[in-house]
Amino acid sequence: MKKYSVILIIIFFFANALHAQEFGKDISAAKASYTSGNLADAHFSLEQAIQELDMIVGKQVLDILPKDFNGLAADEKNDQVAANVGFVGATVHRQYGDKGSEVEIISNSPMIATLNSLLNMPVFGGMMRDANTKVVKVNGYKARLEKNGDNTDGTTNYTLQIPLKSALISVTAKGMDENKVLSFANSIPIEQISKLIE
Amino acid sequence: MKHFIFVLFLGCLFCIPVSTNAQFLKKLKEKANNALEQAVDKKVEDKTGVSTSESSSSNSSGNSSSRPSNTKGAGLKNTEPPDVVASIADAGKSFDSKNYSDARYAVQQALVGIELQLGRQLLRSLPQTVNGLKADTSQDKVMSTQWGWNNLTIQRIYNDGKDKQMTLTIGNNLLYSGLVNAYFNNAYAVQTNDKEQNAKQVKVQGNKALITFDADKGYSLIVPVGQSSMVVWEDVNFATEDEVMAAANQFSIDDIKKLLGEK
Repeated sequence: MKKYSVILIIIFFFANALHAQEFGKDISAAKASYTSGNLADAHFSLEQAIQELDMIVGKQVLDILPKDFNGLAADEKNDQVAANVGFVGATVHRQYGDKGSEVEIISNSPMIATLNSLLNMPVFGGMMRDANTKVVKVNGYKARLEKNGDNTDGTTNYTLQIPLKSALISVTAKGMDENKVLSFANSIPIEQISKLIE
Repeated sequence: MKHFIFVLFLGCLFCIPVSTNAQFLKKLKEKANNALEQAVDKKVEDKTGVSTSESSSSNSSGNSSSRPSNTKGAGLKNTEPPDVVASIADAGKSFDSKNYSDARYAVQQALVGIELQLGRQLLRSLPQTVNGLKADTSQDKVMSTQWGWNNLTIQRIYNDGKDKQMTLTIGNNLLYSGLVNAYFNNAYAVQTNDKEQNAKQVKVQGNKALITFDADKGYSLIVPVGQSSMVVWEDVNFATEDEVMAAANQFSIDDIKKLLGEK
C-alpha cells in the first residue's frame, strides 16, 4: 500500500511539473503571437494555458478529496481531470468502490451557473421537498439530496448536488442510507475546493 | 445525473424565449397604460384647467414608501479593453507563486482583451455600404465574455435612414452553431409544404446556410463558419430572397474566417 502511495505521489509530482512547463510554453507563445499581430493564434495559446491551469487545479482537488467513502476505497487509478474552455468547464471525477459511487466536480462553466440558478428554483424541481427530494446543509452549504430508488437488496441510492457559483459538486452514492451519504459529504472539504476552483 | 442536467438544460433553453416574450408583453402593456393615462390626463386638464402633472408629482413626492425614479448619474465610464501583455505577465507571476486562481483570472483578462481587439479589427474590415445601405458605426458592438472563445459577438447595423435595415452579427458560440449544424443534418426539418416555404438551405460563397422568412421580422440568413462561428444577417424590409443573398455576398466569408482563426 505504501509503495502504491509513493508511486501515486511521484506520478502526481511529474504530471504537475509537466503541466507547469506547458503553461509556461503557452503563455510565451501567446505573447509572441500577440506582439506579431496574430490575434487568433494568441487566443488559441491562452486557451491552452487555461486548460493547463484547470488540469493542475483539478489534480489539487483530487488530492484533497476523501480517500474513503463509507468503507469504499477511492479508485485513484481511475481519477480523471478533463479541462475544456467554454460551456462545459473543467471536470474532476473520482469513483469509490466498484458499484458506481462517485464524486464529480464541474467547475468554471456558465452552463453550470445557469443550472445552479435552476437548482435553486423549486418550480424546476430544484431546492424543494417531496417524497424523494429534500434540501440539506453540507458543511454550511445548501444542497439538494435526491433518492434514486431502492436496490433489490433493500439498500438505497442517492444523488447529492452542491451548487457553488459556476461550479457543481455531485455525489452519487449506491447502496447507502441518507445518514451515510451526508456523513461522507460533510467530509468533503468544500471550502478548500471552492477556493481552488473559483 | 447526466439525464437530470440534460433535462434542466432543455428546460432552460425553452424557458428563455418564454421569459423574453413575457418581458416584451409587459413592456407593451406598460406603454399602452402610459398612453391611456396621458390621454385621460389631457381630458381632465381640458375640463378642469388644472395640470395633472403637478398634482401627480406632489402625490409621488408625498408618498415616501414609493421607490424614487433615477434622474441623475453619468453612467459608466467607457474603459479600455484589458492590457493583453500586462495580463499575460500577471498570469506568469501568479502561476510562479502557485496562485492558480489569479493566474486563471489574468489569462481570462488577456483573452477578453484579444477578443475585443479582434472584434474591432473585424468591424474595420467590413464594407461601409452594402447595396445602398450605409453602416451605422455608432451602433457597432463587440461583446466578449470571460468564458474563452465562446460568446464573442460582433454586430454591425446597416440602414437607409428609413425603414430598411440589415443587422450583421458574427458570433462564436459552439453550442448554438452546433444546433444549426444539427439542423443541416436533419433532412426532415427543411421540407416544404408545397404552399409556402419559410425556411430552406442555401449556399453563401460555398458555405451551407439557412435562410428563413417571418412576416413580422423579415429575412434571416445564418451561415455557420469553421468549427464554432456563425454569421447571421437579419434583413428587415428586403423585397426578395435574391436581394438578401446579394447583400450577404458583399461580405467575404473567407476573410471573416481568417480573422477568427477558423478553417
